[in-house]
Amino acid sequence: MSFETVIGLEIHAELNTKSKLFCSCPAEFGAKPNGNTCPVCLGLPGTLPVLNEGAVVLAVKAGLILNCEIMTRSRMDRKNYFYPDLPKAYQTTQYDIPICRNGYVDIGTEELPRRIRLTRIHLEEDAGKLIHLEESDVSLIDYNRAGIPLIEIVTEPDLRSAEEAVAFLKALRSMLEYGGISDCRMERGSLRCDANISLRRAGQNTLNTRVELKNMNSFKELQKALESEEERQRELYSLGEENRIVQETRRWDGAKVKTVPMRSKEDAHDYRYFPEPDLGPVIISDAMIREIRESLPEMPADRKKRFRDLYGLKDKEIDIIVGDKALSEYYEALTARGTDPRAGANWILGSMLKLLKEKGLEAGQIPVPPEELHKLIRIIKEGKISLTAGQEVFSQMFDTGRSAGDIIKEKGLSQISDRMELGRIITGVLDDNPQSLSDYAAGKTQAAVFLMGQIMKATKGRANPQLAREILEEKLKKGLP
Amino acid sequence: MNIHEMTAMEIRKGITEKQFSATDAVTAFFERICEKEPLIDGFLTLCREEALAKARQIDEKIKAGEPVGKLAGVPVALKDNICTDGIRTTCASRMLQDFIPPYDATVVKKLKEADAVIIGKTNMDEFAMGSSTENSAFKKTKNPWDRERVPGGSSGGSAAVVSAGMAALALGSDTGGSIRQPAAFCGVVGLKPTYGLISRFGLIAFGSSLDQIGPLANNIKDSALALEAIQGEDKKDSTSVRHPVTEDYISTIEKGVKGMRIGVPAEFFHSGLDEEIAFSVKACMQKFEAMGAVVEDISLPKTEEGLSAYYIISSAEASSNLGRFDGLRYGYRTEDFNSFEELVEKSRSEGFGEEVKRRIMLGTFVLSSGYYDAYYSRAQKLRARIREQFAKAFESYDILLSPASPVLPFKIGEKAGNPLEMYLSDIYTVNINLAGLPALSMPCGISRDGLPVGLQIIGPHYGEEKILKAAYALEQELRLTAMRPTL
Amino acid sequence: MKISVEDVRYIAKLSKLNITFEEAQKMVGEFEGILTYFESIDRLDLKDALPDPPDRNGGTVLRKDEISVFEDKEKLFLNAKSMRDSYISVPKIIE
Repeated sequence: MSFETVIGLEIHAELNTKSKLFCSCPAEFGAKPNGNTCPVCLGLPGTLPVLNEGAVVLAVKAGLILNCEIMTRSRMDRKNYFYPDLPKAYQTTQYDIPICRNGYVDIGTEELPRRIRLTRIHLEEDAGKLIHLEESDVSLIDYNRAGIPLIEIVTEPDLRSAEEAVAFLKALRSMLEYGGISDCRMERGSLRCDANISLRRAGQNTLNTRVELKNMNSFKELQKALESEEERQRELYSLGEENRIVQETRRWDGAKVKTVPMRSKEDAHDYRYFPEPDLGPVIISDAMIREIRESLPEMPADRKKRFRDLYGLKDKEIDIIVGDKALSEYYEALTARGTDPRAGANWILGSMLKLLKEKGLEAGQIPVPPEELHKLIRIIKEGKISLTAGQEVFSQMFDTGRSAGDIIKEKGLSQISDRMELGRIITGVLDDNPQSLSDYAAGKTQAAVFLMGQIMKATKGRANPQLAREILEEKLKKGLP
Repeated sequence: MNIHEMTAMEIRKGITEKQFSATDAVTAFFERICEKEPLIDGFLTLCREEALAKARQIDEKIKAGEPVGKLAGVPVALKDNICTDGIRTTCASRMLQDFIPPYDATVVKKLKEADAVIIGKTNMDEFAMGSSTENSAFKKTKNPWDRERVPGGSSGGSAAVVSAGMAALALGSDTGGSIRQPAAFCGVVGLKPTYGLISRFGLIAFGSSLDQIGPLANNIKDSALALEAIQGEDKKDSTSVRHPVTEDYISTIEKGVKGMRIGVPAEFFHSGLDEEIAFSVKACMQKFEAMGAVVEDISLPKTEEGLSAYYIISSAEASSNLGRFDGLRYGYRTEDFNSFEELVEKSRSEGFGEEVKRRIMLGTFVLSSGYYDAYYSRAQKLRARIREQFAKAFESYDILLSPASPVLPFKIGEKAGNPLEMYLSDIYTVNINLAGLPALSMPCGISRDGLPVGLQIIGPHYGEEKILKAAYALEQELRLTAMRPTL
Repeated sequence: MKISVEDVRYIAKLSKLNITFEEAQKMVGEFEGILTYFESIDRLDLKDALPDPPDRNGGTVLRKDEISVFEDKEKLFLNAKSMRDSYISVPKIIE
């Protein structure tokens, strides 16, 4: 009996607006608790919401990027329930008529394309944050997050494995990041993902009871949670006990490495949705859609194609560079200045990524301006310093912010590439090592390697290796009786 | 003449012409309050210090020859569901008994800009739910015309203090008649403007799609002046009007009603209507005809069903609007609780009165799954029909007339036991809120027992100018501006 | 329409209100009266009525995405009964 896994995802992304959805409080992260609040987002009596235009634009943008139909007329609704992080005791969201419908994201490969359909995208406000203290009889509430604009993206149950779900989420994340919609950081909570998973017998085309999974805070946790739940359900099926799979919400427990049932907040989840009377309909004009469509930035898929065509890099390399928007932009800043695409890619994929990891920085925080790295690469190409020395210089540039030229001068790292000067030094080395000369003449080619070592020692590694070898060979040939 | 007997316009004139100072005016009203408030119980909070400070400010401006606002020195009372920065705002509920808003409602800002002097917050039915002001958690306001009777509700306090000369103007709120009916009961002028004309920002919400703030005054011109001062677009209220509106009502108010077409809906003269009220209203119809208007009977068949639609929609919205009162960030918090759930449930149960709890539950019920289509959805559709019905009527008529209330002011305690009966007495007023139309209630007679009778004038959307014109003409004709209760 | 005491108690719970059994019983009578009265709208033919109010304004107001800070936080939280640092504190919530 073979089974098929059916997964659908529900993703929430915090929009990159300056202010909150219904008031002008800053939508920034990391402020002092309750520092970004006002009477409106605190739900003080008498206050009223006013819709943030920027949020609407970003929602439409997301819809266009994700191939959705934009609803020119949609509506805000109230979802009523009690919870301490919900100041008005209702969330203003979109229930009946969301702002976008019917989109898709293509993942997979050219040979095996997979289209994952989206049911809808809608605008809603976030709730505050509850903090539970371990040894305490109180819980704390911070309303900074209350009122932050979110889009909720719901997929059709088109995903067929945990791996695919993660691949989809990564692709979606990248598109939202490239679109400037959200900074999409799962660890920070600006991208959240819940999943619905069920199993069915291969070939069956109806859906069985699904289980909702929550509390997955990284791609890894998403994968583990889905795999764990998939396993749990498969086992019940194999025991003939699939009727024990009930519609419930389970949370991923990282410590126990499995999904556990959640205590239900309320027996009755009757949200009593009704249209928000304090807001009019959300009208999107054709002109607005056109303007937004024309201003769409390059998407990851297009950028990858362009990189393939322009720079001739390998697919895996492109995936890494394009997978990080800021990194790909840095790379293009190099090539725009004339850096050889291959050399640039080597530097980015090699030294750059290594240093970023070491220092715990992100591509958006690279302390070396592209112009400076470009200069360094050129200096190395011109043979003024060796590649090894260059890597050391780059590390210094990273730490100190000084230019390549200054560091090279100070550390005296310039490569000796002058024929006459190098010739003199090599002659000196040969004079000091007559034994090696006779060894070489006797046919011991190993002596040449030894002599190169001595040349490097004498020049403190600054000898231009190719030139030194050339001159040495000349002299060795001449030196033969 | 005593200052407290003057109209708002006269008070402003007196101050700007230096016959007396703003401080004199405010002091005079506080003296009146000292004397008569114990009889009426119209105020929940008095703002003597703040009022005198504002009066001093105005006097300084006048001394310096600086211009002053439209309502300079006029003492204004505010219904206690309108937020005032730093001043207790309770909605006459235990739930908000010590709530101090950190901001001013937009209408309060506008009053301050117009140099009005805010003298106090008035009593009301708790959270604006009621028609008698008996649902207040704190006190029962008495009708100045007969202190054994109710002043009407829910803006009973505002109507009573204006009627008793304890404020020159007051603001109330009207969701289903809460300005117009108490105005009728207390013999004053109450105006509910077109939905959206006056900002709701800072009005503690009851029925969001129905609520409007409006002025209560002793005469039509004062009402028009107040409207000019507080109306207009507000960026903080997404339901507020977004096109230019008439800025000056006073200049056209004396134009008269010649040629005006006036409709009188037959359904409003049903069997439950007190015959003395019917008589007074019919007399008004004749007066209008005598002044050159055309008065005709019309039919508005959906009138009675409107009452159901009103209670369904307003309760539904209220149940949602009042969900925020949980004792966490503000408001009443119960003393003992063993868990978070208990904290919320007990705070709400102890903080809210019976009528409020009833409406919350009714609202929750009509929105709950399984019932939404039968009640809420149908009520909204009916509402659309009522809107259409009025729109059609206004194609042929400039204004409509009706009684403001089917009954004369009743005795305190008389209707308390029967909520449905109380709801039924809103029959003339609720449909206007459902349609978002403007309407004004004005005194048009006195009953045999010396109780005021109110006439309601209804206009099309943004038709306040027409209403005020007709009302002014009638007021001059009836010569009732001198009508004041003896206290 | 007929409703039961259980219905009333369920609604009370949904509204986060405590009512006693006696209060619930009393409310059954009141609600039945009111809801029966509401049935008057059942008779009407409302097929073609549009539930959404006519939008005279061209859609809800769209506010420019700009920041404005409410400075006086002390005043803003004046009415909170218990705070810890700048958090609002409430009895522990079990999840």
